[in-house]
Amino acid sequence: MLWLVVLFPLLGAILNGFILPKHNKKQSHLVAVLAMVASFVCALITFVDFMGNGGSSTVLFGFDWIRAGGLNVPFELILDRLSGMMLLVVTGIGTLIHIYAGGYMADEKTTYRFFSYLNLFVFMMLLLVLGNNLLVMFVGWEGVGLCSYLLIGYWFEKDENAAAGMKAFLVNRIGDIGFLLGIFLTFKLFGTLSFTELRDAVVDVNSFDPMVLGGIGLITFCLFIGACGKSAQIPLYVWLPDAMAGPTPVSALIHAATMVTAGIYMMTRLNFFYYLAPDTQTLVAIVGAATALFAATIAVVQSDIKKVLAYSTVSQLGYMVLACGVGAYDAGVFHLLTHACFKALLFLGAGSVIVAMHHKQDMFEMGGLKKYMPKTHFVMLVGVLAIIGFPGFSGFFSKDEILWKAFIGDSSHLLWGVGVLAAAFTSFYMVRLLCLTFYGENRSDKHTRDHLHETPAHMWGPLMVLAILSVGIGFIGVPALIGHSIGLENIFEHYLEPIITIPIQAVDNWAYLEAEYDHGLEWLVMGASVVIVFFSAGLAIYLYGSGPKPVTVAMMNRFNRSYNTLLNKYWIDELYFKYFVNPLKQMSLFFYKIIDVKIVDGIVNGIGQAFLMIGGITSFKMSGNLQRHAMVAVIGLFCLLTALAL
Amino acid sequence: MVSIEHYLILATVVFFCGMFAVLFRRNIIFMMMGIELMLNAVNIVFVSASNELGHLDGQIMVFFVVTVAACEAAIGLAMVIAIFRRYGTINTDFLRVLRG
Repeated sequence: MLWLVVLFPLLGAILNGFILPKHNKKQSHLVAVLAMVASFVCALITFVDFMGNGGSSTVLFGFDWIRAGGLNVPFELILDRLSGMMLLVVTGIGTLIHIYAGGYMADEKTTYRFFSYLNLFVFMMLLLVLGNNLLVMFVGWEGVGLCSYLLIGYWFEKDENAAAGMKAFLVNRIGDIGFLLGIFLTFKLFGTLSFTELRDAVVDVNSFDPMVLGGIGLITFCLFIGACGKSAQIPLYVWLPDAMAGPTPVSALIHAATMVTAGIYMMTRLNFFYYLAPDTQTLVAIVGAATALFAATIAVVQSDIKKVLAYSTVSQLGYMVLACGVGAYDAGVFHLLTHACFKALLFLGAGSVIVAMHHKQDMFEMGGLKKYMPKTHFVMLVGVLAIIGFPGFSGFFSKDEILWKAFIGDSSHLLWGVGVLAAAFTSFYMVRLLCLTFYGENRSDKHTRDHLHETPAHMWGPLMVLAILSVGIGFIGVPALIGHSIGLENIFEHYLEPIITIPIQAVDNWAYLEAEYDHGLEWLVMGASVVIVFFSAGLAIYLYGSGPKPVTVAMMNRFNRSYNTLLNKYWIDELYFKYFVNPLKQMSLFFYKIIDVKIVDGIVNGIGQAFLMIGGITSFKMSGNLQRHAMVAVIGLFCLLTALAL
Repeated sequence: MVSIEHYLILATVVFFCGMFAVLFRRNIIFMMMGIELMLNAVNIVFVSASNELGHLDGQIMVFFVVTVAACEAAIGLAMVIAIFRRYGTINTDFLRVLRG
């Protein structure tokens, strides 16, 4: 059954990629959706079956993939509580987005190409999630990167879209180097790449060789570089905002809900390693918190609706990484789950708005869309409430859990402070987005305004489902504190318990995760963040509630410098270009023009030239007269014979 | 009595006739005839040596030379025809494609 889950999207991709273009181009959407639905149904059956058997991990052996000396890599799938959950997320949200994409891409000529890539992406993502060793995971890891590249550059006729795809691919490549080094080191140290075997190798060891511990530290660091690339963390986050050049369903599926969470998924898979490497964990937490704040501040001034959502994704991924860094992997994965729902919802909602606005994305040209698109407005409202952490919505539960763990995991509470600040920014820019898009006066031109319309049912249908999920899914992971008072258990934490294993040696380091805390303190921490979030949401409503107030423009001018810095994303792209890209370009130019053209080509051509020259010098004797040549030969022969005779 | 020296002198004379034909006639057909002469001079040496030594190897060799000469003549003449078709002449003064 599990194999079917994986194979249906591949089948869809092949059908759409190779067979449909020759025959019937109209059916590509249907084929892709059917493949996804079939895959989702299989996933659901698998999951129910799996939980029915008590939810203990099973490994499915496919075939021997690599057998070379000490390296033995079977092609195995693992079905455990983590991959089971991801299975549902990928196929479930994937199905909804596939349905939606049919409406969004209706005017395209090459939909079969689009859906083929999209199906292929799901296949690769499933490989990534289900692979039972680092190498199979790496295949998926690279595969989703490839599909991401193809889909960002889907409208490749425009140079900037193609460039954005290339940027995503190249930046990810830097992370992949880290990932590969991590794989090599793992093999060197443990002689196996299988997750189950690695886990058995470390969890029950009482005392480690310092060398091995150092090795694990290095492995976790290398793998974290990979996670930085895929999950868009500082310093490799730059590709994600540019990736918005792709079609919006792609942004929703790949660059919000699934692919970008691969880094968090990978770290959770290997949590037993990370628990053994406290230094890496500290780094992870710092990078996560910094990314969360950094991206949130940039999002505050962006005017492109998708750019805001992109930076918000980077920021939310920062939260998840922060959770991993403080050892709260369950909280990180829970946020991954809720974020997948509400961010897919927000992106698809933004997609509907963009379609209605005739592919204009500037929020300052929108406004007042509530009247024209009530359904989209409703789902976007739900999405925004979920992401800012309005009590009762899913984002509240997951984000609160992370912030609480960050609070107790760091004695200076600095990580928590940064997290709360980022949450404040988040609520500001998300409410700003909502206000600028849906409330106030409509600021678009007359032509656009006359054509404003609600999207068809197969576009808002998936949105409704996602909206319900965005609210409901939070209740499976209600923090113990609130859960006690309303009689709800934290199902999710229990669910993931078998996956999160702290190795015996490291238990002392992570004791705070299990310790009991004063409930008053916990309420206080939660209350503080809620108050701050409400305050900044209120500020945003005041400033943008009925169109942007003049005071915002005044503030822009007053704080010109900081405004410009934010608007230009701290000039990070320019910085990278100045210090990395351009020097590299110069270097390649040097290698090309001097080393290659002058030296390498020079040697090759020089040899040819030399022979031509020697030939030129000697060839004046060659008159072309046959008999003179023969004469020379005869004279030579006589000379030789005479010499021989003498 | 004709001794081996006579044969060898004859062979030398024939060989040089052939060689001069090859070197100085401008017509390719005459050059080919010169080559035939040179080959036959060699044949004479073979046969006379065979007779002198009382050994058949030399005569066997002659058959080979004759066969090869026949082949050579066939191919050579075909090439002469081809050259004539291509250039309209078989005078070597005008055939200078080998010039460097």
